[in-house]
Amino acid sequence: MSALRIRTIRGVALAALAAAAVLLHGQGLPITYERLLNPDNEPGNWLMYSRTYDGHRYSPLDQINRENVDRLQVKWLFQGRHQEKFETTPLVVDGIMYLTRPENDIFALDAETGRTLWSYSHRNPPETYNCCGRVNRGLAILGDRLFMNTLDMHVLAVDAKSGRELWKTKIFDYKAAGGYASTGAPLVVKDKLIVGMAGGEHGVSGFLDAYDTKTGERLWRFHTIPQPGEANFGTWAGDSWKTGGAGTWNNGSYDPELNLLYWGVGNPWPDYNGDFRKGDNLYSGSVIALDADTGKLKWHFQFTPHDLHDWDATQIPVLLDAEFRGQPRKLIVWPNRNGFYYVLDRTNGQFLLAKEFVKQTWAKGIDDNGRPIVIPGYEPTLDGITHIWPGIDGAANWMSHSYNPITKLLYVFAREERRVFTKSGPPTLPTTDPRALDEQRTERRRAWRRSRPPRFAPEESWGKVIGIAPTTGDIQWEHRVLTVPWGGVMSTAGNLVVGATFEGNVFALDAFTGEVLWRFLGNDRVYASPMSFLSRGKQHISIPVGDVLITFSIDGK
Amino acid sequence: MNTLLRAVCCLTLAAPLWAQVQPTPQGHESPADATLRQTGRDEAPLPEKNPFESPDDLAKGNDLFQTHCSYCHGAFGEGGRGADLTTGLYRYGGSDVELYRTIRDGIPGSEMGPPRVARDDLWRIVGFVKKLGTAEPEQAPGDRGAGKAVYEQTGCASCHIVRGEGGILGPELTDIGRRRGLAFLEESIVKPEADLPVNYRGTRLVTAGGQTIAGIRLNEDDYSIQIRDTGGNPRSFLKRELKEIRRDNPSLMPAYGSILSKAQLADLVAYLSSLKGAP
Repeated sequence: MSALRIRTIRGVALAALAAAAVLLHGQGLPITYERLLNPDNEPGNWLMYSRTYDGHRYSPLDQINRENVDRLQVKWLFQGRHQEKFETTPLVVDGIMYLTRPENDIFALDAETGRTLWSYSHRNPPETYNCCGRVNRGLAILGDRLFMNTLDMHVLAVDAKSGRELWKTKIFDYKAAGGYASTGAPLVVKDKLIVGMAGGEHGVSGFLDAYDTKTGERLWRFHTIPQPGEANFGTWAGDSWKTGGAGTWNNGSYDPELNLLYWGVGNPWPDYNGDFRKGDNLYSGSVIALDADTGKLKWHFQFTPHDLHDWDATQIPVLLDAEFRGQPRKLIVWPNRNGFYYVLDRTNGQFLLAKEFVKQTWAKGIDDNGRPIVIPGYEPTLDGITHIWPGIDGAANWMSHSYNPITKLLYVFAREERRVFTKSGPPTLPTTDPRALDEQRTERRRAWRRSRPPRFAPEESWGKVIGIAPTTGDIQWEHRVLTVPWGGVMSTAGNLVVGATFEGNVFALDAFTGEVLWRFLGNDRVYASPMSFLSRGKQHISIPVGDVLITFSIDGK
Repeated sequence: MNTLLRAVCCLTLAAPLWAQVQPTPQGHESPADATLRQTGRDEAPLPEKNPFESPDDLAKGNDLFQTHCSYCHGAFGEGGRGADLTTGLYRYGGSDVELYRTIRDGIPGSEMGPPRVARDDLWRIVGFVKKLGTAEPEQAPGDRGAGKAVYEQTGCASCHIVRGEGGILGPELTDIGRRRGLAFLEESIVKPEADLPVNYRGTRLVTAGGQTIAGIRLNEDDYSIQIRDTGGNPRSFLKRELKEIRRDNPSLMPAYGSILSKAQLADLVAYLSSLKGAP
């Protein structure tokens, strides 16, 4: 054997050892739970929907910052070639991006070029019962496995290296009641996969599930509507609990120290008609804190008791530790769909503060127990009411907020919207009193003859990115935009707040002042929140605009 | 299979299914309905005209609309998340069978999926949706012929098209009488800003040099605005180059209440009400 050959072999062996060492230092797959708990060790990766368990949607990367953001340019595009709303947040693991494309396709891309490595498709039946488009918001990852929820109520695992399907579990009959769907990204906690469901526009019955990430076996189910014999069962009149909605259709947050899972719960059904579901209708419009191991309820807080305006509490929970009125507290903060910003103690759900962050006209305020003091006449009528702000889609919806530990501000892309609220129709209402149903049906038909739909000027609604001081609820700055948004925001250690307007203007704002530092005209609808990652040591920012995922970097390099 | 044979087979298969398209007692699901529900495919040929248009069907259509459609289109069809259905204008066609197909299939790329209802109920929804955008039959008190003369003399045609003739600054009126009732038509003449289509909102732009350009807004985002100026030209402006964007007078159309006599107004309404579409 020649000396040269020996040297070559030695060189290859050393290179292999070096590669193994890199892997040992937490690069590439597998993603251990330890890695999910310590995202700061790998700032260039994005390992879950909100990047971190505290729901901050904050990137510790600062290569793109206030000084150089004006050089941000398109680096590559992922052409989605679909017609649905593109709501996904991609994951990135050391140079590979994983994303969902509507309806339930998974793609692995080279994060440097956007070139596809593999793809996987789950085929849904022609009819599914999602309320608002055949959408999906993203993936979860653990070990070598990616996890996705589907429109026809399955949860599945694929091999992150090949896209090969490993297991697929039916969550529930997607045709039951008015129809169930699962559109959110699942969340990995320890060895469990937390999975939510949608369907609050129909008479479904909500729950939140945990599955074994290895086998797909269901480990627990928490019913978001108390079952007979359980606490708070009496908050639903008659049989209305059977069809009370209360979905869990977005992603949640988790506190590993407390071992508590925080999840927002959607509206009670029927959305705009409370006649047949008198009571507070727990746990609709609430945040629930569950023991992550057992799914047992530790505490709950209801933002909107007996909701009549479709104000789901399905926002992403934001967890932070801060001094509140002189005391260090573990907080959960919540800009809610009902127009109020809330601060709670996340150890026990104690209400600490609430403040309006948009125009609202339905409550005089929030009392000392956190209960809204409603203004009479706030209920939708059969003729429709036009004096209630915020609108049907709320002041905040599913789109992410962001907390930045440097500026210590919470960023919200808030919605100032005027809409009509009309009491919803009775044909399929659950009741033991069919005469009452008939009366409402007759009255509705009369209302239709006498009423005329109002039309609002476009200027009556708009959007605003706001920086909120989280412990006081004071708005420090506001950047107003023309149209009510359907996108969320991300903040970064470069002191930027990134997002995109409904018209597709992708923007970077100064996180301290809200000043616009950079923009890109994407010219299509945006229904997503941005994310950021490193590829070959350089920071990138991605966001779906229209059916295209756009990835930006400095000078496009 | 050759083409002829295939055609014969299709006809043979279609015939018994067609028979089942006829009204069935409520609660009974026809095989065609079952096929539609199970496969999402409508295998029977569709009638051009809605077979379910009785007052009772319409009332049921209202109930179905409230359950399946009002969430996005509003309880009165006024729109919101979904399109405004009161205008009587339909992007995917306004005939009975076109509306049926649009509702049955949903609109790809929008939030509108197919509703989960039987075939007969689809027709009932079609009937109600059509009603939302159709004027009730009314007898106009004015003189239609005299109204046509008022229309021509007042210069309405400089902004509105009727049967291919006229300007493009205002909405086309060729079938306005089919879509809008007498009270609506009168209000639109005396108070044009009362109910303004979103793509005809009057806007006045003041340039840095102090020039004012009036037009209707075609599109807008945070950085630019696109208008059709009063000369009919589409134009785009960067907002940073404008001194002011005025929206305080959202209709470019003058209010004709004080310009026309009561008789002229009634005649004009009668003329507009008679416009039921291209002959």
